[in-house]
Amino acid sequence: MTPAESRYPLRVRVGPLELANPILTASGTFGYGLEFADFVDLGRLGGICTKGLSLQPHAGNAPPRICETPAGMLNAIGLQNIGVQAFLEEKLPRLRSLGVTVIANVWGDLEEDYVAVVRALENAEGLAAVELNISCPNVEKGGMLFGNSPTATGSLVERVRAATRRPLLVKLSPNAPDLVESARAARDGGADALSLVNTFVGMAIDPETARPRLSFGTGGLSGPAIRPLAVRMVYQVARALPGMPLVGIGGISELSDVLEFLAAGATAVQVGTANFRDPGVSGRLVAELEAYCSGKGISARELVGRAHGQEPLRLDAGAEG
Amino acid sequence: MRSDHTALLLSTRFFSPGLFSATFSSPRLAGEIAPGQFVMLDLPGRIRPYLRRAYSVADADPGRGEVEFLVKTIGAGTAALESLRAGQDARLLGPLGNSFSLTGLPAGSRVAVVAGGIGAAPFPLLWRALRAGGWTGDFFFGGRTASDLALSKRFAGVVAGDTYLATNDGSAGEAGFVTDLFARHAASGGYARVFACGPMPMFAALARVVERLQLSAEFSTEAEMGCGFGVCLGCVIPGRHTPYLVSCQEGPILPPERIDWSQVTGGSQVTGDR
Repeated sequence: MTPAESRYPLRVRVGPLELANPILTASGTFGYGLEFADFVDLGRLGGICTKGLSLQPHAGNAPPRICETPAGMLNAIGLQNIGVQAFLEEKLPRLRSLGVTVIANVWGDLEEDYVAVVRALENAEGLAAVELNISCPNVEKGGMLFGNSPTATGSLVERVRAATRRPLLVKLSPNAPDLVESARAARDGGADALSLVNTFVGMAIDPETARPRLSFGTGGLSGPAIRPLAVRMVYQVARALPGMPLVGIGGISELSDVLEFLAAGATAVQVGTANFRDPGVSGRLVAELEAYCSGKGISARELVGRAHGQEPLRLDAGAEG
Repeated sequence: MRSDHTALLLSTRFFSPGLFSATFSSPRLAGEIAPGQFVMLDLPGRIRPYLRRAYSVADADPGRGEVEFLVKTIGAGTAALESLRAGQDARLLGPLGNSFSLTGLPAGSRVAVVAGGIGAAPFPLLWRALRAGGWTGDFFFGGRTASDLALSKRFAGVVAGDTYLATNDGSAGEAGFVTDLFARHAASGGYARVFACGPMPMFAALARVVERLQLSAEFSTEAEMGCGFGVCLGCVIPGRHTPYLVSCQEGPILPPERIDWSQVTGGSQVTGDR
């Protein structure tokens, strides 16, 4: 450990974004943060990612919107949110007073919409970074449509990059035809870091009625069920784009899950669906990581990427059994 | 304050197969819970179900530090609770949601409580509060068949007034819908408020009755909940003045006039405990 690391063993840098520790909470699973104030000391988290913000308030999809699945759930909420203005007026000042590191998650139908939301946020006090959601599978327009095409990804990120001086994270879709190409496009467009991954498009059908369980038809799969898929994707992008800061997401609910993502090459992680079943989980993971690092005499930074260089590994293995 | 309480299962009591009462020791919760509020229940160490399940608190005894739930086994979550043994722990996140409102209820007035099947779950605690406030009223309890009404044993000595039963097949009480039974009494019952809990089709029918008779009503809604504290936004119900009402946060107790019944599709908003 460096002298700085031994003083602040959990501190990590995600590109230009300095975090007190690598434990973040994932957009869409943590509301606007304040909902968790009874359960978590929000100021002790590495940071929170807000519910995806759009220019105007958005009502979301018709119910049923969620459905439990083995070791996880499907959701098709449809990005219901209060809109960027209400966030700035009603939520951000309270988050600021609690000392929370806030990452604003942003989405839109068109490039212009993303740019407009980012502009609205640009001069807000108490915002640490912006995360672009180009990977929501549950809206008709925008969202995943940007994430599924490297060209569209690159173009959008470039335009948003030009509109903000803040650290810019881009949250990628695991449903993209070629995740590495999308990651490269986001990096080349000016992303400071990549959040990997959003939910996987899935479906559940009621066997009695033969109708989809979600009114949207399909939904995004999250929870422990997706963790090995997400770990593989973080590992793969870390290998393809050395030096690009990555934030790992997918089924994290225990310390060992955090360590797994860090080993795969993530500098920080986001806790998602686990917040629903255990609202105190994010705070507990910070404490557990702290105990782990001090017990081992190791910094969080030193845990990053340890799985690399231990192979040879075949990343295409598995498909052919 | 909302908190995640570790609670010891003290006892279970079966009314019929798959229909039971579970009593936990949870002193803080017992002292804080208001009629109609709910908890999200977690059974640590299990893989399935993944998400917690929402349960209305059926009764609370602050003196003994106990809370009770009335449960019908319909899926993975309720089956897991049924298999919990006395002496084992659960986690109860709560108190969550709003409560039945007794404010503004004129002293000595009469109320109606309408329950469909396991929708009877929140009402022992409400009756306790009504009795304590000197109110009386009638209890209308309906189900498909007599076995759905096995819970009526739990209400012996609980109701501050008369109990009327109805079953769709006529195997217990009156044959027909509990909402029709209620409507006949309500026309002349002089009820100051109607409290109801049951499946969405029952609610939709009851909403028409209370609107026609211009009765003040509160429905304990229950859409499938992912978190129970307003974050996942999974449990929305179509609203009349806003697109959606978040059941766990704005409810679960909602006046029927805030719900857009034309958008409520038959049964699809009823809890699925798969």
